Amino acid sequence: MDIPKGFSFEEASGGVEAYRLEDNGLQALLLQDATAPVATFMITYRVGSRHEPEGLTGACHFLEHLMFKGSARFNKQAGTSVFNVLQRVGARVNATTWLDRTNYYEMLPGEYLPLAVEIEADRMRGALLQDEDMERERTVILNELDRGENDSIRKLFHAVWAAAFTVHPYHHPVIGWRGDVERLTPDGLRHFYDTYYRPDNATVSIIGDFDKTEALGLVHRHFGQIASPEEALPTMHVCEPAQEEERRVVVRQAGWQGAVMVAWKSPRGLEADTDALDMLSAILSAGKNGRLYRRLTDTGLTTSAWGGISRFCDPGLAYVFARPAPDKTHEEVEAAIHATIDEIKENGITEEELQRARNQRKAQAAFSRDGSFSAAAELNEAIAAGDWKIYTTMQDRIHQVTGKHIQRVARKYFVENACTTGYYIPGYPD
Amino acid sequence: MNVSPQRQARTPSFAERVSERLIGPCRLIMLRTPIQNVVTWCGSFHSAPDMGNKEELLLQHLVVSMLDKGAGTLDRFAVAEILEDKGAELAFSSDVLRIDFSGRALKKDVTEVLGLTALQLREPLLAEEELAKAKDRISASIKRSMESTSAQASGALRRRIYGVSHPNYIEEFEERLEQLQRLSIDDVRAYHAAHFGANACTLVVTGDVDENAVNEAVENHFAGWPSHEASPRFAETPEEHAPGVSTVAIPDKENVDVRLGHALAIRRNDPDYIPAFLGNFALGGNFSARLMQTIRDEMGLTYGIGASLSGVSTEYDGHWQVAVTLSKEYVQRGVEETVKQIRRFVAGGVTPEELQEKKTTVTGAFKVGLSTTFGLAKTLLSNVEQGFEIAYLDEFPDRVESVSVDEVNRAIAQVFVPNALHVTLAGNVREGDVKRACP
Repeated sequence: MDIPKGFSFEEASGGVEAYRLEDNGLQALLLQDATAPVATFMITYRVGSRHEPEGLTGACHFLEHLMFKGSARFNKQAGTSVFNVLQRVGARVNATTWLDRTNYYEMLPGEYLPLAVEIEADRMRGALLQDEDMERERTVILNELDRGENDSIRKLFHAVWAAAFTVHPYHHPVIGWRGDVERLTPDGLRHFYDTYYRPDNATVSIIGDFDKTEALGLVHRHFGQIASPEEALPTMHVCEPAQEEERRVVVRQAGWQGAVMVAWKSPRGLEADTDALDMLSAILSAGKNGRLYRRLTDTGLTTSAWGGISRFCDPGLAYVFARPAPDKTHEEVEAAIHATIDEIKENGITEEELQRARNQRKAQAAFSRDGSFSAAAELNEAIAAGDWKIYTTMQDRIHQVTGKHIQRVARKYFVENACTTGYYIPGYPD
Repeated sequence: MNVSPQRQARTPSFAERVSERLIGPCRLIMLRTPIQNVVTWCGSFHSAPDMGNKEELLLQHLVVSMLDKGAGTLDRFAVAEILEDKGAELAFSSDVLRIDFSGRALKKDVTEVLGLTALQLREPLLAEEELAKAKDRISASIKRSMESTSAQASGALRRRIYGVSHPNYIEEFEERLEQLQRLSIDDVRAYHAAHFGANACTLVVTGDVDENAVNEAVENHFAGWPSHEASPRFAETPEEHAPGVSTVAIPDKENVDVRLGHALAIRRNDPDYIPAFLGNFALGGNFSARLMQTIRDEMGLTYGIGASLSGVSTEYDGHWQVAVTLSKEYVQRGVEETVKQIRRFVAGGVTPEELQEKKTTVTGAFKVGLSTTFGLAKTLLSNVEQGFEIAYLDEFPDRVESVSVDEVNRAIAQVFVPNALHVTLAGNVREGDVKRACP
């Protein structure tokens, strides 16, 4: 294929081709998949709750809501609201906000791909962001916030992140603190929109059944006229100070099923140590041969236990989460979690465990190509972490992880002074 | 917009693409798709519990939760090792009258994992030492439901609509916790012996399928599976209850889940089903439907509201429900406005433009839903479970397109009855908080 006018080819990896619109810096990723006559169009803005200063928490998420309230050409007054136009053709359409990014996506029959491109281009710079819409949407978001607060486990996760990060914006929940959501102003949101919603801060991904030349032509036609501001994008330099002692938090709420979360500071998503922690997480929690199942759940101490690792722009958390069995205490569970980790720190892992984790990742990589949305979701997080090729090179990265590396990261990161422990202690309503 | 050259030829129908055969008692349906190396399967069989005896459903849950704790000569770790070494996925669940199973594996591993699936279904160890742990897991799951305003509001609605022997009835969570403790390993084994067999067993396999290999695996592992002799015992219709309000007070839950609903005298295979489905969709099927547009978009009262035909099958009646979440201070107004919109909708029906829009939404979404191997397998299986021919899936978009405005509005007027709505609430509310809003 000849490279269409206006684009430069950047690189290809794992079936994904990266292009850039020369005039405004918009990146376009193409991944063809003709297994079904369906395509996913997604735009990822590299802005999330990480970019929110104190007092403006929840701004990114609020803005995401308002982006559905109308743009210059697609709005309710004209009978062309985003949901109406897209759902009419059967599209699955939504958006999500997370710590490092905000994404908007449409999964739709392939012949309607132009519609999705046109809408996302129109609202990149043409969102109406009207004051009256903001007030109506505020109560919607406050209800969303209340729904989240109903969930004790979500509150526990928020509490642990808030305790673990004292300076960095990972401290606050993506939806924002209630007081901020209640007070956010149209000017504040507009400033956010004008600062971050620009071609050179976005990547569009097209996945599914399409003709490449036509798809790039569409992107050029609709996004090519949008200029990136002359001002450089603001850079984020907030650095979380080193944690010097263990921290503890307790969430109390009506309920019946407690939980324990033990978390340690982890490195940036792109670092090789994160790959090793990722594999360690798999060895801890993958199925009945995982360390946590054998030590905690199979022995009747917990009803479930698993580990996770964040892969973000900035250092995040690696954690273990467990639900105590009915007659077991939080303290017993916490001690067993530490014993499981200490065993790995002391003796490392077996070659068999490492190979099993690799096999599981290999299968998951194949499964992630099952349907255009699945691939889009993984690309989205890779873009947010700082390099879309994490998605295509993950197999190579994890094959470079050795047992010794895993033991080394366990010793380096799972240390007492970088640990934050959270308990959810349910109260028992009458 | 052109699709890729290989897609430009006419897509053959399901009836043309699907390979289907009976292997012993098991109906095997296979559909190859262009995906590389990934194979997905979904299957089910009739377990026929006695719905009048709620212990049977709990026993069914217990058996299902113990299927992965060892089978044949393999202990729980050996079973897990087969799957985990391959990165394969295998899951079992209890769907009231049926047991469902589904899995996903790389092409080279499919036959072995299908063999394991059959072994776990047919010869689980059901070891006594695993029972207490299984009870703890189910107990934990029930307690999580008790904490969930959504589960509590939905359960309360179903208890207002159905009698205890209807498949859609949901028992009080506290009663289930008590019953669970009474069950013994002998009860669990007896339930497995009496209710696990190849009755109406169907297996759908999609993706990069090696048909010969799958045929052989099903021949080897499912063909000799005998049927059980249990016969289904359940009420097909809801009970007649006067509409009313139920409140489940849960402190600390400032978001209140609300359900409004009533019984539906309609089955999945009734001629009125698709018109009623389209009518319901126009009211609350998606973001651009009436309820989201008014209660959320215009009034800002909720994050989410939707309407659905729930628990409807070809075997028994279901119910119609509107689900809405409301912050405590908006409960009264939210319920009143929702009822107002429902009344307006039932009185006025849908417009031709609105119906046409919903038709293209439904047919487009049907296409999108079939774009993964799981979406295909699940849709094919559900179609068979409802008793439809494979060709029904090919005909579905045309059936939707052929429905007229009059048919939809007739169905709306006949099927949806605002004065019959029950209201249930769960969250930090007290009984009587929405008395005035009750239809």
